[in-house]
Amino acid sequence: MIPILGADPLFRDGIDGTVVLIVIVKTIIVFTVLLVAVMFYVWFMRKVIADMQNRIGPQRAGPFGVLQTLADGIKLFFKEQSSPECADPPVFRLAPYLAIIPAFMAFAIVPIGGLVPVAGRQTYLQLADPGVGVLWLLMMSGIGLYGVMLAGWASGSKYPLLGSVRASAQLLSYEAALGLAVVGVLVHSGSLSTRTIVDQQAWTGIGSIVSQWYWLPAIGAFVIFCISAIAETNHPPFDLVEAEQELVGGFHTEYTGIRFAIFFLAEFMNVITMSAIAVTLFLGGPAGPALGFLAADSWVNVWVMPVFWFTVKLLVLLYATVWIRATLPRLRYDQLMALGWKYLIELAFLWAMISGVVVVGAREGWNRWVTVPAAVAGAGIVLAVLWACLPRRGEPVEEIR
Amino acid sequence: MGTPYFDYHALAPVIVLAAVALLALVVDFVWKDGGRRAVPQIAGIGMLLALIPVFTLAADGETRVMFGGAFVVDNYALAFAGFFLIVGYVAVLLSYDYIDEGDYYRGEYYVLLLTSVLGMVVLASARDLITIFVAIETVTLPTFVLAGWRKHDIRSNEAAIKYFIIGVLSSAVMLYGMSLIFGLSNSTLLSEIGSVAGGDNPALFAVAIFLTLAGFAFKVSAVPFHFWAPDTYQGAPLPVTAFLSVASKAAGFVAMLSVVALGFFASPNSWQPVIWVLAAASIVVGNLAALRQTDVVRMLAYSSVAQGGFILVPLAVSGDNDAARAGFQGVLVYILIYAAMNMGAFACVIANARRTRSTEIQSFSGLGRSNPAMAVVFTVFLFSLAGIPPFAGWFAKFVMFRAVLDAGTTAAVVLGVLAAVFSVVAFFYYGTVIRRMWFHAAVDLGDTGSPRVPGALVAAMAITTTVVVVIGVYPQLFAKIGDLAFRAT
Amino acid sequence: MWEQQVAFWVIAVAMAGAAIGVVRANNVVHAALFLIVVFAGSAAQYILLLAEFVAWVQVLIYIGAIIVLFLFGVMLTRAPMREERGKLDNSQRLASAVVALFLFGVLAVFLIDAFGGTELRFRDSMVEVGSAASVGDSIFRQFVIPFEVVSMLLLAALVGAVALARRD
Repeated sequence: MIPILGADPLFRDGIDGTVVLIVIVKTIIVFTVLLVAVMFYVWFMRKVIADMQNRIGPQRAGPFGVLQTLADGIKLFFKEQSSPECADPPVFRLAPYLAIIPAFMAFAIVPIGGLVPVAGRQTYLQLADPGVGVLWLLMMSGIGLYGVMLAGWASGSKYPLLGSVRASAQLLSYEAALGLAVVGVLVHSGSLSTRTIVDQQAWTGIGSIVSQWYWLPAIGAFVIFCISAIAETNHPPFDLVEAEQELVGGFHTEYTGIRFAIFFLAEFMNVITMSAIAVTLFLGGPAGPALGFLAADSWVNVWVMPVFWFTVKLLVLLYATVWIRATLPRLRYDQLMALGWKYLIELAFLWAMISGVVVVGAREGWNRWVTVPAAVAGAGIVLAVLWACLPRRGEPVEEIR
Repeated sequence: MGTPYFDYHALAPVIVLAAVALLALVVDFVWKDGGRRAVPQIAGIGMLLALIPVFTLAADGETRVMFGGAFVVDNYALAFAGFFLIVGYVAVLLSYDYIDEGDYYRGEYYVLLLTSVLGMVVLASARDLITIFVAIETVTLPTFVLAGWRKHDIRSNEAAIKYFIIGVLSSAVMLYGMSLIFGLSNSTLLSEIGSVAGGDNPALFAVAIFLTLAGFAFKVSAVPFHFWAPDTYQGAPLPVTAFLSVASKAAGFVAMLSVVALGFFASPNSWQPVIWVLAAASIVVGNLAALRQTDVVRMLAYSSVAQGGFILVPLAVSGDNDAARAGFQGVLVYILIYAAMNMGAFACVIANARRTRSTEIQSFSGLGRSNPAMAVVFTVFLFSLAGIPPFAGWFAKFVMFRAVLDAGTTAAVVLGVLAAVFSVVAFFYYGTVIRRMWFHAAVDLGDTGSPRVPGALVAAMAITTTVVVVIGVYPQLFAKIGDLAFRAT
Repeated sequence: MWEQQVAFWVIAVAMAGAAIGVVRANNVVHAALFLIVVFAGSAAQYILLLAEFVAWVQVLIYIGAIIVLFLFGVMLTRAPMREERGKLDNSQRLASAVVALFLFGVLAVFLIDAFGGTELRFRDSMVEVGSAASVGDSIFRQFVIPFEVVSMLLLAALVGAVALARRD
């Protein structure tokens, strides 16, 4: 009826009260789960980093300090909200919401599970499946940038401004690499819809980890995606946006109380969302072995197992982000820009081109032993030219009036 | 739906140009020291290389149609493609020493020049609104940058900014008109637009045509859309001015000609008055303003506005079927001849500016004595621009008046009389420069540069002079091209 | 399908209001924010026409990149950050208002004459036309020449921008 809402069978028979209710319930659940997940992620991060640094970490609030984040949140909620004299009040107040809303919205396209029966209807465990799904992610990370940019600008203070200039340049640069890395998957999937991408990576046995999931066929794209996603979320080692030693706190220096908490929330929510997207695009989303001793349509296999596998994969990636946070020192700004513009974007382009040749070659029945080496050789020539174009260290820069 | 039909032979000129532009860019980066000598050579040779497929296609004589008629290579397209490539080559010749001695970025300059010419070659074949729009943007966008190439000269900055803002504004107006046309005719193909020709809504169609033509009028600097031209021409580096006043202006005319001849022709009431007004206003304002200039570049800028008016005259009278052929041929022939004589005139101005570091008209004083050869050449071009036989300009004026007489309507005759009167007015300002050269003693301008005219400029002058003299004596050559180009339509 | 007409008018009025805001804003950043509303409105209109792909690309490119770069430029240059009343105004406001109103009047009259009474209607074929697949098809089949020429154009723009902006 209204195919623009996506391929979800929920909408196939028109929209009535039940459908609306299901959608609302799904939205509330995703919202709540995401909030709770951020709370746990922050605790998890602090605990793991503390462990790596031989400290104890949070331990007072709740068992093992689990409620520490909640306590921090409550504290921030009751703090006074100040705003600088030079601030631009409407924009200053708007900015935190521009940061948090896209972080939520981006998660909407992540498939957490498969098709489930609810109140006599079939629906996907996924908030929305627009036909242009992956573009939605890029769009939301683009809009999320406004929160950071406007926060820094509207504070009317120099450190936040510097922070937000850094942030906008960084996010813009890495968004290009991120988008091109996603192309590496799209070439294989032939569809932008996250549901289709996940369906193509369905579990068919242990071999599907290497044969179905896209991380191996698109290994180059996977690596570039991970690096750019880390940069895109201002996560260490790319956290120049809030480099404490240089910028006090970065774009949110002037924010206090609940508004600061919202930025804090948005930042970690972005990490979770990006990891979830990486799981969706490269690691098969909810795909994983079902419990063989139960019927295929038992509620455990329909509801629990996909969500379980999704969570496991997500946790692995989240652990990796914490590990990186604890391990790597921050990059210098020119290194950051050089990495993005001189390496990642080019490599992502070349990877997309090689993938294109391989995929089209397979479809047209070309000889794989010719097309793949030819594509790699072509990419190698381009790389050689690019490398020759890079200025050498110590080479005098041409002076031109 | 299979793979679209590609005729690589028909696309060869475009592909060669793109490849050469990329090659020039890479050579400039990779080969640091030799690159600065090599890039202009690559650009020049590239333009000539791209001419080869133009000739083979012309020899083949077959009309090649691609993408359902969106891209057509016929005699008309080939005539203009060849013309643009030759103009591009002359522009490279004009730029060679200017850019080399001025300590500017070299590689980038030629890459932008090549890209602009690429847009022109595509434009010659473009037969749908999207292709035309993209091509015309490809023509103008590099020239925005080229106009500001003298980064540390505030006049050059002014030239670039004015040109950029007006150019972008005109693109927006043009695009709005095109979107309305698309909305009315449900197609971007000129042939289908022509068959619909407004349909049930002739009024809105006329508005859409007006907006589209206004956009083109900005590009060709027709009055009243000419305000940017003198400042931009004066501020831009001289070779860029020459390129702007000829190639990018001609591109605007080609777009106008294609759109009118193939798209709007069936509803002459909507486009003919617009072009009539543009032509008349350009002739009057351009010639009168040129009279008062003391700077030769500004004088040539207004003269090019006036010449643009003359070029529009045949188009403005080509409304009914009997006059159409003569009118379109008149436009084409006038553009070809105008390009040769204006390019040549700018070659002389550049050579003189090298000598005197000035573009004031008085800096030409005494040129007849100090460098008689150049003075003769410049005189030839100015005579030609004024339309005095036996130089090519007279033939351009002749085809213009023939088109007017072919049409024979009152409006056409009025326009013809106007053109005749102001052709005479034009004698005065061209004559001023000639008088300065031959009958005035040299003025001491203090700081003077090298009196030597470099080889590249000599070559450019030789090419343009040959065209101007040969066509003046033997005009059948261009008449033949004009004839062939419109045989199909 | 009256909902569609209502939605169209709501969005259109919001866009027009925001467009006036762009012109009237005394602060460049506020003007840019109003411009975002305009772009978002046009994306919403595309959605009403079921041109899904174009709508998201509109958001992605215009809001996600162009305005961001615009703001970035404002922050990097010495454009006035604080409100400076009158600075963004000029003495020709009356003349420009007259011209704008005249143009609006002319276009409104002719557009209403031509398209008045036309209503938005969902048709199943529109979904197909608006999908990413069919947009891609038409770009890479019918319009492949303009597409390739645009790539040269963008390269030239890039080269030109670097050449002009480079500090030397």
